[in-house]
Amino acid sequence: MKRYWRLGEPWVWLSGAALTATLLAAATLLVVIMVNGLGVFWPGAEARLTLKDGSKIFGEVVQRGEKPDGGERLQLSTGNRDLYGLDFRWIDSADVALIDYPGDALIVERTEYGNFHGFLRQLNGSAAVTSEQLHLELNQLRQARSVVADLEEEMNELSGASESNRLKIRKREFAGKRDAADYQLLQQRQNELDRQFQQVQGRHSEAIADLRTSVAVFADAAGTTREVTLADIVRVYAPNAMSLPAKVGHYLSKIWELLSDEPRESNTEGGLFPAIFGTVMLIFLMSAFSFPVGVLAGIYLREYARDGFFVRLVRIAVNNLAGIPSIVYGIFGLGFFVYGIGGGIDRFFFPESLPTPTFGTGGILWASLTLALLTVPVVIVATEEALGAIPGDIRAGSLALGATKLQTLMRILLPMASPGIMTGFILAMARAAGEVAPLMITGVVKLAPSLPLDGSFPFLHLDRKFMHLGFHIYDIGFQSPNVEAAKPMVYVTTLLLVLIVLVMNSIAIRLRNRMKKRYSYGTF
Amino acid sequence: MKRSHRERIRSNDRIARWVISAGGITVIASVVLILLLIVREALPLFSPAEVRAERTLVAPLPAAEVRALLTDDYLESAVLVAADGSFTFLRLPDGTVLGRAGDTALSAAHGAVVAAEVVQGRRCQLLWQDGTITLHDVTFRTEYAADNQRRVVPAVTRQGSAPPPPDSIGRQWAQTRLGADGRMTRVDLGNDGRLHITQVATKTNFLGEETRDVSDFILDKNPQGPITALTLDGAGTTLYAGTADGFLLRWSLAETGQAELLDQVDAFVDQRRITTLSLVFGDLSLAVGDAQGGLTTWFAARGADGGQRLHLIHRLAGREGAIDAIVPSQHDKSLLSVGANGHLALKHMTSERDILTVDGGGRIVAVARSGQGDGIVALNEQGQLRLWQIDLGHPEVSWSTLFERVWYESYDEPALVWQSSAATDDFEPKMSLVPLIFGTLKGTFYAMIFAVPLAILGAIYTSQFARGPARDLIKPAVEVMAALPSVVIGFLAALWLAPLVEASLGAVFLSVLLLPAMLLLALLLWQGVRRHRLLRQVERGYEFLAVVPVLLLGFALATVAGPLLEGWFFAGDLKGWLYAEWGMRYDPRNCIIIAFALGFAVIPIIFTIAEDALSNVPNSLKAASLALGASRWQTVWRVMLPSASPGIFAGIMIGFGRAVGETMIVLMATGNTPILDWSIFNGMRSLSANIAVEIPEAPAGGTLFRVLFLSAVILFLITFVVNTVAEIIRQRLRRKYGRF
Repeated sequence: MKRYWRLGEPWVWLSGAALTATLLAAATLLVVIMVNGLGVFWPGAEARLTLKDGSKIFGEVVQRGEKPDGGERLQLSTGNRDLYGLDFRWIDSADVALIDYPGDALIVERTEYGNFHGFLRQLNGSAAVTSEQLHLELNQLRQARSVVADLEEEMNELSGASESNRLKIRKREFAGKRDAADYQLLQQRQNELDRQFQQVQGRHSEAIADLRTSVAVFADAAGTTREVTLADIVRVYAPNAMSLPAKVGHYLSKIWELLSDEPRESNTEGGLFPAIFGTVMLIFLMSAFSFPVGVLAGIYLREYARDGFFVRLVRIAVNNLAGIPSIVYGIFGLGFFVYGIGGGIDRFFFPESLPTPTFGTGGILWASLTLALLTVPVVIVATEEALGAIPGDIRAGSLALGATKLQTLMRILLPMASPGIMTGFILAMARAAGEVAPLMITGVVKLAPSLPLDGSFPFLHLDRKFMHLGFHIYDIGFQSPNVEAAKPMVYVTTLLLVLIVLVMNSIAIRLRNRMKKRYSYGTF
Repeated sequence: MKRSHRERIRSNDRIARWVISAGGITVIASVVLILLLIVREALPLFSPAEVRAERTLVAPLPAAEVRALLTDDYLESAVLVAADGSFTFLRLPDGTVLGRAGDTALSAAHGAVVAAEVVQGRRCQLLWQDGTITLHDVTFRTEYAADNQRRVVPAVTRQGSAPPPPDSIGRQWAQTRLGADGRMTRVDLGNDGRLHITQVATKTNFLGEETRDVSDFILDKNPQGPITALTLDGAGTTLYAGTADGFLLRWSLAETGQAELLDQVDAFVDQRRITTLSLVFGDLSLAVGDAQGGLTTWFAARGADGGQRLHLIHRLAGREGAIDAIVPSQHDKSLLSVGANGHLALKHMTSERDILTVDGGGRIVAVARSGQGDGIVALNEQGQLRLWQIDLGHPEVSWSTLFERVWYESYDEPALVWQSSAATDDFEPKMSLVPLIFGTLKGTFYAMIFAVPLAILGAIYTSQFARGPARDLIKPAVEVMAALPSVVIGFLAALWLAPLVEASLGAVFLSVLLLPAMLLLALLLWQGVRRHRLLRQVERGYEFLAVVPVLLLGFALATVAGPLLEGWFFAGDLKGWLYAEWGMRYDPRNCIIIAFALGFAVIPIIFTIAEDALSNVPNSLKAASLALGASRWQTVWRVMLPSASPGIFAGIMIGFGRAVGETMIVLMATGNTPILDWSIFNGMRSLSANIAVEIPEAPAGGTLFRVLFLSAVILFLITFVVNTVAEIIRQRLRRKYGRF
């Protein structure tokens, strides 16, 4: 026993316990995200609680908890924000007289005020309706809705064209060329565009009015009714009557909505498409700036620079850069890119739209440049290490056969180092995907009106602001007026972001392991 | 091979060498530029003010005729008040007379203007020969002419008048104020040295009838010597006086019909004469000028006896001789003092900075400051009108406001405070970086306490004891942990962990005790079981798996027992008990959460570097130690750990650097309150989170903007030093063992 202690075996166990604690914490974190994120879209049973005082409430039991003074209570997700003002409600279990699950209970997803939980009472004035009829009617509306969407797109195009035309006119006025030949033409075109816009707008409001004629009346558990325009309904389902395949279908359709749709209700409902798009585009732009530069610097450091004090200094500087807080990069991006370069571009190229800044405000270009600076050290280090891991004999062999340094580099070293460099790329991309602080001050917004890439000339709008998954988490989790109602969406966003980052990292780790194996046996 | 082909290859190689070298060097140079650019943004904070433009004009009136001077926000026009009560409008900087306004009826009725005073930059009060005071508001309207030329048009409107008190016998000084409640207060300093106070309250009853309620009274001559300077605050409720023997007096005139002497302070030991008094923008601080050239500010703060007494707050040194007048800014807390020798000195109260001194070219008759505070116009006794346009820089910031205790207005003692903005204009910005640096270090400290032992013990286990496939899984698992975006960790810490910890604080504390206890218990049990050969396999590097149930059990036990114990010992409310017994307030987002979340973010970094360092110690050392009969722990503790210690130290340093700069976790999981308190139960505000919170509100180029850049420089420097040290240690280690 004494000997056991003297040998220090308990310390071994303690170190093992430390490792376990760390891993358990990581596992807990992932499990929490998975459990909370994956369950959000699964249609839960819709319970009708009849309380002892006779009142009835409708809702999904989200959690059971203990009351401060003992006894159990239930948290109901009741929806119907327009009726109750709240989305959630705590009910004392002791007050509940009866719980049942009526099959015709509907959940109506609306574009405003959150979900409605209740029964269908009327459709277009007729009281005897089934939910099938409602679905039929909704399907018919889809056709009309696409017409409205087309009109909206046309309006967008026209207003874009009109805006750019207006700027052209202002440019002429700025240059004092009011009497130029094309000035009149531009004026005419402006009038023409405005006229067209008015026309389309008229058609659009007609179509909208058309769309809004069908109405359904729903009632909550207590019998309070609410009229809902069918055009405002996103989806209707009856969770208690759904079979398992139907539930799976519902789940999948919700996921599809998440990936492809725009957010609704101040980002707490609907999809994440603009945020996903923004994140991906940011990563691509960042990669385009950071990878060539990083690889170039890495090659220089390892293959061209003469080893000595200077190179040591540079290595320290590069490693140091990797350790500089991201917010410092962010504030640098704001001071240098946004106000410095962006402000300069505005003064020289876009004086006609000042004081509204074009590039002199945060945008995807500046955010991606800032992130590129942040990730360059990762790429440099990865390139250097990948090149450094190649045995010197190989270089010597290639040079001995008469190849120049460039040929050796291009044909031998870079191909051999490519898995290592790839690892660096992927790690840099993963870092960029997860970084939020520098974006917050260089151009990310909670709701961007348009994507940075679209069909109107010049297609790629580097000056536009964008949305980002990471910022989405911060924004809806901390800045939204109704944090409790936003929570499911935050978990889903988190899950998505974590998945993206983890998949990227797993690929990087896999690649690196493969490379390690290749070198450790050294048979080329 | 063709010759030309060979040539091409060679020249390609040369070009490539140039391109790659140039590219590489550019990258590295641009890296250095980052620091330089951030510093460049922050540096103007400390640069001195400069006179941008200076001009001397000849005034259209003789200096002896001028009673007061006013100017607009941008020093584009000026108004001269003459002894006959007329207003002369000038265009600046050329001095063209734009026009004249004035009521000859006034001068016919009251004689000439004896003295004039400008209150809050825009209101002019004229004291006439017969003792009447008239109030005139000067406005500067901006107009755009047809050719888009900006033009400032001054205008004067009369606001009211106050007749002299009935029994007065000549006066040295008189002022009047119109309060917001319609009360007019007039204070006269009679030739007999007594103060005459007149208060006129005008009330409108529900029928719309006005009733005037006049009360006037005389304060007895005070024993502290003759009064030499007086001032009234903007509402006319507080009267300040200074005496020839260096006493400061303060009365409250809030109650109609009486003056309550609040203070009589022997302000200066050498009994110097107080020459002028003025209230600093915001009417909280009193600026006192004396015959020795001293400029001090005072306000009432709670003293040792608990009463509100005037305290000497700031001492603003200067070289302008006896001070004739003090002109406060209408924009910030700066003061312009006019010296008897004709020097004008611009000073800032909060930072006690001597901004700039200009020479007025003779004794100054009248002076005015532009509304933006960056322009001065002064009239000297030779009748010269001098204008100065000044680049103020950032006078409210100095080394002492950033890093030392400053006595801010309405505080009872000097303090270190960060509060960059408030709802009102006359707010004194408080930009001490100390609470932010403190917050950064506090969060980092707690995170490191949590992270360092776990990461290093875990690294020791992984590199020295773990075996086989388990080990190949641990490293990627930790790397995945490192890749988790900090926004995710911060969100979970704030919205999942914080409520959980708050609800079961007892369980959290209990598990700190219970987990080691359970481990010890498990070890004792293990003594009995380990004799079995099969079970002993666990000791070949799978201990960490065997510990899982122990830890889970300990945790479950704590969860169950925590609330019970809390109920028995702390009446079910640990938080309440903490507050009652120890005075510690429990914030839901506190340093326990930060320790977990930030620690979680830092663990993988320290772990990876420490593990690398340990694995790179040559195996021969380990083998030799084991061969000499040392146990595996003894080998690790006495041989491996000392060899790898520089690497482990480097890992800790890099983890520290990361924790210092982490933004999102701190931003989300603390309350972001800039407090100076080591308690683990409340939050803090770190430098990085502060930048993220405040930069969207900071106008580019403004003081706050530059202070935030300065805090970025500090962050940069902290991480730079820490990382450089770590990197040098690591490079040494690499060379020592010949590989990495």
